[in-house]
Amino acid sequence: MAATPTLILTSSDGVDITVDRDVAERSLLIKNMLEDLGETGEAIPIPNVNEAVLKKVIEWCTHHKSDPPSTGDDDDSRRKTTDIDEWDQKFMQVDQEMLFEIILAANYLDIKGLLDVGCKTVANMIKGKSPEEIRKTFNIQNDFTPEEEDQIRRENEWAEDR
Amino acid sequence: MTRRTSLPMKTRPRTATTASIQPVRAEHPIWDDGLALNAIKAEGQVLDEMDHFPDPAPRRRAAKSFSNLRHPVDGLRALGRRLSVTLRHKSSKHNLHHNHEETHQFDHAHHHVPHFRNTWCSVNRRASLSSVSDLDGSCAPTVSMPVPANGIQPPVFPSGMYAGAAARAAAAAQNEMVRAERDGLKFSEARLAHDAESGIGIDLRDRSELSDAELAVLRLDPVSSLPPEIMSEVLSFLDPQSLMNAELVSRTWSEQASSRHIWKQVFRRAYGSQRPSGVSSKKKQSAGLGKSIPNQDWKRMFLVRRALEHRWSEGKAAAIYLHGHTDSVYCAQFDENKIITGSRDRTIRVWDAHYPWPCRKIIGPPPADVSGIGPVNNTAQQSSGKPPFLTICPPPTQSAGITTPVDQASDYHSASILCLQFDEDIMVTGSSDYSCIVWDIKNDYKPIRRLEGHTSGVLDVCFDDRYIISCSKDTNICVWDRHTGELIKKLLGHRGPVNAVQLRGDLVVSASGDGVAKLWNITSGLCVKEFPSKDRGLACVEFSDDARTILTGGNDKVIYQFDANTGDMVNELTGHVGLVRSLHLDSMNKRIVSGSYDMSVKVFDSQNGELSIDLPGWTTSWMLSVKSDYRRIVATSQDSRAVIMDFGYGLDGIELLEE
Repeated sequence: MAATPTLILTSSDGVDITVDRDVAERSLLIKNMLEDLGETGEAIPIPNVNEAVLKKVIEWCTHHKSDPPSTGDDDDSRRKTTDIDEWDQKFMQVDQEMLFEIILAANYLDIKGLLDVGCKTVANMIKGKSPEEIRKTFNIQNDFTPEEEDQIRRENEWAEDR
Repeated sequence: MTRRTSLPMKTRPRTATTASIQPVRAEHPIWDDGLALNAIKAEGQVLDEMDHFPDPAPRRRAAKSFSNLRHPVDGLRALGRRLSVTLRHKSSKHNLHHNHEETHQFDHAHHHVPHFRNTWCSVNRRASLSSVSDLDGSCAPTVSMPVPANGIQPPVFPSGMYAGAAARAAAAAQNEMVRAERDGLKFSEARLAHDAESGIGIDLRDRSELSDAELAVLRLDPVSSLPPEIMSEVLSFLDPQSLMNAELVSRTWSEQASSRHIWKQVFRRAYGSQRPSGVSSKKKQSAGLGKSIPNQDWKRMFLVRRALEHRWSEGKAAAIYLHGHTDSVYCAQFDENKIITGSRDRTIRVWDAHYPWPCRKIIGPPPADVSGIGPVNNTAQQSSGKPPFLTICPPPTQSAGITTPVDQASDYHSASILCLQFDEDIMVTGSSDYSCIVWDIKNDYKPIRRLEGHTSGVLDVCFDDRYIISCSKDTNICVWDRHTGELIKKLLGHRGPVNAVQLRGDLVVSASGDGVAKLWNITSGLCVKEFPSKDRGLACVEFSDDARTILTGGNDKVIYQFDANTGDMVNELTGHVGLVRSLHLDSMNKRIVSGSYDMSVKVFDSQNGELSIDLPGWTTSWMLSVKSDYRRIVATSQDSRAVIMDFGYGLDGIELLEE
């Protein structure tokens, strides 16, 4: 069997990482680029992603390299749930900054599945929490005046009463 | 997107670049000054001490790398120096307070100072972890003049001096990081080197590394870390309550979380995901999901929908009586715009589903105008359940203008209208005159054809895109071609009148007075399964949209729930004390609505079979037919009226949910 074709990706901090082509092609950005330009054998610069994040992204792509391509009817099936499979959950057990950087990288590299898992992970960090708990989770200052806060609260609590 | 550009410039691990860490950085230079202030206690030794203190050169470098910080910090430092002059005279007195003669000794001061400095620092740092403003506040909420460090007390700066420093530092450090990255200057390394040289650097570095790690793990505002379109994606995954909580987090969160796009997704997921996808012969009831038009206020729709659901859970509905038929109203079906009823008075009436609910059309022989409406309900009965919170009796519409002129009596039913169903194109009615009539809804309800084949009254009818199914007192079920009216097949097997019939794909389910419900395959024409009642005859049947559940009701006064695949009876819904005459299953909203000869309409939770709303005595006689959608139940009664039980009545914005 022929050796798996590989590519070299260069991270923003100048580190070359060798990766299987089918793994790298989980990124539509890379896939389209290869289709457009053909394979030059040169290292592909990934100017927006540093080594640590790029390695994480590659780890995810490697695990998911045989996933079926996304079906496109994303408004229904995908949106229904914030369930995340176990491996992805473990994968996403990183600090917030790494998490956000993975999301940004997935967005930049156009890896829908990873972007999704990342967004769901953040959503799950927000889900079911009170505003104060959300603030604590992300170290956010409450910059509302009490009146503004009250206003929103009343709006949201609106039921009917006639 | 500026936020995105922040990605490449970050280096791990000390990359927590958000505001939370900025004050900490600002603190270093300030602390240097704090030490200087402290040192003046030992009067003449100030200079010596400074000399012995960390090499000033790297410190300057570090300060330079904070170029934007330099101004506040240098200002601070200068102020500190000025103060050191004014304080110099008093400093010996100052020290006496503490009986610390030794502090005059250089050695002790040298060791002591770093010690309590660190102690205090770590306390302060922990406090500062929680918030930027804490740091501001805890520094010096009330003092207006700087106070030097004193014994084990930290020095205090006037709050005004520090005000805004955190914000400036945040912005400055952000800029500085960009610059540092561009210049290839590893700021952290510079700082670490400096700290190591200082002689107290190990402690300092430990402290900063510790808190860096803590900060990085715990707290980054996704709204400022992620571009809006991604944050919008994140928020779209939330349930409505969580999304509303997110709106209360901060102003920027509120802005993001109240976006219509997000609310559209959240609203649809909360209320629209149950829309059945399976085969259905029923005309789709309105799901109350609103129109997909630009600028639709999805959040408001959610609030309205939530208020509506609350009304259902409370059983709070208005009663609107449709008065005009002169005899029992056997059947009804409705959509957002119209309600169609069929009666023993041989007429079919089309009512406007909106205020003031006028009768738009009468199809049939010229009726007598009805007189006064009389009592519409049974208040004695109502007291045991949920009475209407409001009763509306619109005046009957004069029949003269709305009755279709009768040219040929053959165009109409010559006896009671027992059953009807309509969709966008046609309506099919069944009558005691043994026939069905197919009407053209789009052409002013003109009759298209009559279906003749039964030898007794047609008790129920249903249809889909291919077939019209009718069932009769003659114990037969007829399958007709919807488009040609040809009688395709008869399903024979019941030993009593077939009271009700439903169709899903190739499957027909029927309920008979013989006490058995049968599942038929249209293609083969054979009965494939039987679902017997425990005792007596069946009057009505419902078939879930996914064709997996069959509900029957009848003279046993209970509702039986069967698994269509296994044939097992899986539940028995109790509550009625009379024959269960009519059933409606609303899968989307998980409601089973039933009408009974006990004169009540009841609503059951279709998931657990629990009785959720009891609506007794809303009319003065037997309930003959019930249907429901997201906001109302329409029930018809033997007392010649139909009643709209409107859970959305008067709800501000309810019209937003109309489809």
